[in-house]
Amino acid sequence: MSNKTMIQIENLYRTFHHAGNAMPVLKDINLSIGQGECVVLKGVSGSGKTTLLSLIAGLDKPSSGKVLIEGEPISKLPDLFASELRAKKIGMIFQHFNLFEHLSVNENVTIPLIPSGLKMKEIHEKVDDALKVANIMHKKEVLASRLSGGEKQRTAIARALVASPNIILCDEPTANLDRDNSLLFIEILGELHRMGKTIVIATHDPLFDSLSFESTVIPMVDGMIG
Amino acid sequence: MNANAFWHFLTLQLFKERSKHLSVIVISAMILFLLSSVLFISSSIRFSLEETLKVQPDFVVSRVQGGISVPTPMIWEDELIDIYGVSNVIQRVYGRYFFKAKERSFLIVGVDFLEEQSHENLQKLIAKTDIKAFLNGSKMLVGEGVKTYLDAHFYKDDYNFLTPEGTFEKVNIFKTLPFQSNLIANDMMVMPIDLARKILGYSEEEVSDITFNVPNPDEWDMMTDKVSALHYDLQVVNKKDVQKSYENLYNYKGGLFLILFLVVLSTFTLILYQRYSMVYSSERRNIGLLRALGWSINDVLKFKFTETLVIVFASYILGVFFAYVYVFVLGAPLLKEVFLGGQNLQNTLTFVPVLDFSVLTSIFLIYALPFIAAVLIPVWRVSVTEPKEAML
Amino acid sequence: MNEVLLSNQIIVFLLSESTLFILLLVAFVVSLKVLVKWDFESFMPFQFALERQAYLVSTIILFVFVMKFILVVYFIFSIDALSLLLPGAMCGAGVIKANVYGSYLLVLKLSILFLLTLWFYIHYYDMRTKNHQWFKHKSWLFSLIFVFIVLELGLDFSYFSNIDTHLPVSCCSALFGQLEGANPLPFGLSVSLLLVLFYLLYILVILSLKSGYTLLYILTNILFVYIAYYAVVYFFGTYVYQLPTHKCPFCMLQAEYAYVGYLLWASLFMGTYIGLSDAISTLWLGKTDPKSKNIVVWLLSLFVLLCTAYVAVYYLRNGVLL
Repeated sequence: MSNKTMIQIENLYRTFHHAGNAMPVLKDINLSIGQGECVVLKGVSGSGKTTLLSLIAGLDKPSSGKVLIEGEPISKLPDLFASELRAKKIGMIFQHFNLFEHLSVNENVTIPLIPSGLKMKEIHEKVDDALKVANIMHKKEVLASRLSGGEKQRTAIARALVASPNIILCDEPTANLDRDNSLLFIEILGELHRMGKTIVIATHDPLFDSLSFESTVIPMVDGMIG
Repeated sequence: MNANAFWHFLTLQLFKERSKHLSVIVISAMILFLLSSVLFISSSIRFSLEETLKVQPDFVVSRVQGGISVPTPMIWEDELIDIYGVSNVIQRVYGRYFFKAKERSFLIVGVDFLEEQSHENLQKLIAKTDIKAFLNGSKMLVGEGVKTYLDAHFYKDDYNFLTPEGTFEKVNIFKTLPFQSNLIANDMMVMPIDLARKILGYSEEEVSDITFNVPNPDEWDMMTDKVSALHYDLQVVNKKDVQKSYENLYNYKGGLFLILFLVVLSTFTLILYQRYSMVYSSERRNIGLLRALGWSINDVLKFKFTETLVIVFASYILGVFFAYVYVFVLGAPLLKEVFLGGQNLQNTLTFVPVLDFSVLTSIFLIYALPFIAAVLIPVWRVSVTEPKEAML
Repeated sequence: MNEVLLSNQIIVFLLSESTLFILLLVAFVVSLKVLVKWDFESFMPFQFALERQAYLVSTIILFVFVMKFILVVYFIFSIDALSLLLPGAMCGAGVIKANVYGSYLLVLKLSILFLLTLWFYIHYYDMRTKNHQWFKHKSWLFSLIFVFIVLELGLDFSYFSNIDTHLPVSCCSALFGQLEGANPLPFGLSVSLLLVLFYLLYILVILSLKSGYTLLYILTNILFVYIAYYAVVYFFGTYVYQLPTHKCPFCMLQAEYAYVGYLLWASLFMGTYIGLSDAISTLWLGKTDPKSKNIVVWLLSLFVLLCTAYVAVYYLRNGVLL
């Protein structure tokens, strides 16, 4: 694997202010993730791993410190740039799948490409490619509300992949899946790993302790990297 | 932004949230319907009046003493003919005749059928009438409204007028006036000028007023001054003054309505603001998700604004369309009475369909602008939803 | 009550202007707060809130921007319709001159449209810098625009409530007609010299625009608008009306002349607005947009072509000039 740093985190703090009380959630995080690496952030709920993931994705703003994606500091990026970065470089997979239930699989996967300005033909190609990788092509026209949990998760994967981002972030991806589907998910993850994607997973699922492919497990305790 | 995918997504979103938007569209369309109907009626009436005015003589001269119209001496006619630039000088005799306990009245118009007419419609009318047969004995032409009223009171062929001297004057109905410019003709009775004098109580040397035309419009102002200088008790009115007072009258009716309408509109705007604040706060999670998936604030704003515009246009088209049907196809039942109230005859007026660009724009502005202004802040508030909401 | 204030169009117009004003007032208050407290480097939640509020300001301004263009057209249209109510007026020219406020109001409206266009350019560039480099520029510009808008709203109401429908006004032939011996053209120009200057300036505008002499371009374009105004009123207009004595910038907005005035004036002003905004951005921010320049060339050429076409068609039809 190349040594190019994809994600660089420097002295990152995140404090929530609630009713006058400051609640530190992340404390002095320093982390560097190279291209093609797979990192598992492991910790109980409340350890700050989801917050860290949101900061990497630019969904949340830090209280101080820096997050760099491919060398670009994103924390104070104006929205137009931040969203472009999210659209092109980062694919998100959420714990609750976060699909639009009234839309079909195909339509759900199209959503990230709507602002892109791509031609309809290119959009169709990209959507089909993503659906194939996520192994959900056969349900293309089915409404999201009619899918099983595993199928929903695979639709979410397709959606994360559709803009061909280099970084895939997963927030508790197996929390709502049974064991078989979790294993299937990990299998697809392995596929993505082979494609050279940089993957960060926030989870407390022991299944991720020993993956069949090369991965680094980073434990998180009380907002710090242990 | 891919327009196809954008509209596809927008349509699906709108369809899913249709229950939320439907009530807004229905209420908006109803308000627009009311507004458009009133403005359609007023612009249609204005149009008919202008059409009517077009064929009227340019100037009317009458005698006014102490602010009250009195019979005009016929000799004035000769003085007017002598003024250079004046043409078609015509004397007119007309007045209202009251029926049965004075609850109804009709307009009697006396016409000198052997002279040239300054009123173009009368000229056309005379051209179509068999004058010989008409002038043979006491006969009159009546409007549709008059005919209906007389029929209802069993005066099928003639009517006995009571003159101011207390004598009866029997006049046969010769023909019903063609249904042309119905605003004027509806309650009119046209008869030979001497007969009209008798019924209205004018002497041989008196007329109601004298009309004339001035072909060069640049001379109108000057002519007004010149003619009114003839006699101290002479009043001269030109067509432009009449047009202006009509314009003012309908501006007044329409304007008063609009001002009252503002109350409705501001209430509606407040409701819209609250409703959309509520509707959009339920969408925060979805918007956060869109943002997390790479939509920028601008993209979301564009999306939400297009959604609003679709609703605005849908209700605009619905409201205006139904108003058009209501006014021009169905003839505006109920509302017509409001506008033409005070007419003592059942009016057979139909509205001439006029679709005026300025009326359509006015309706759009007075409705769409406050609408968008009201939802603008809620739209912004939901559009800047932090993408991390998607993680919750 | 003043009859003019009951005219449906005037009510709608004043209501629309007032609604926009309320929105702008909100935007102005927010904008001031943002401007004073703005510190883009800060990581405080307060600064992030300000950044979100800046979106409210720009959304309102963009909405107002679009509506103001529509409203200026509507304003001119309503003015034209008012000529029915005013004795002596044949078109908008007389109505505008019905009291002292009219001309100022019209000039103010046109200036506000220009400033809004300029604001839009700065906003566009500001949004595409990673540190909101031009944020203060655009906020100050908006503050200036807001002052103008307050003035405009005041003039709107003063103008319409002070039109006396009994006082005769002059018609355009009296306002623009040539008095004996007096030359209405600027710099003592004759009509033929005016035309030479008109076409010369047009060429100069296009050349300076294309070759990037920004300052020269700004100067020539402003001069071009000035000369073009006179050229249309005193020469090209007479061909629109096909009457050598009919000199008026307003009558051509009427239905009899297929509303060509709207197209004519819009192409001239839009072209100038876009061109000047781009030029000022070049000088002020060092940002330039080739696409804008093309649009300017198209719009101004359309204007010149349209003017010329009226003369040419007249000549071809009648074999003589007016």
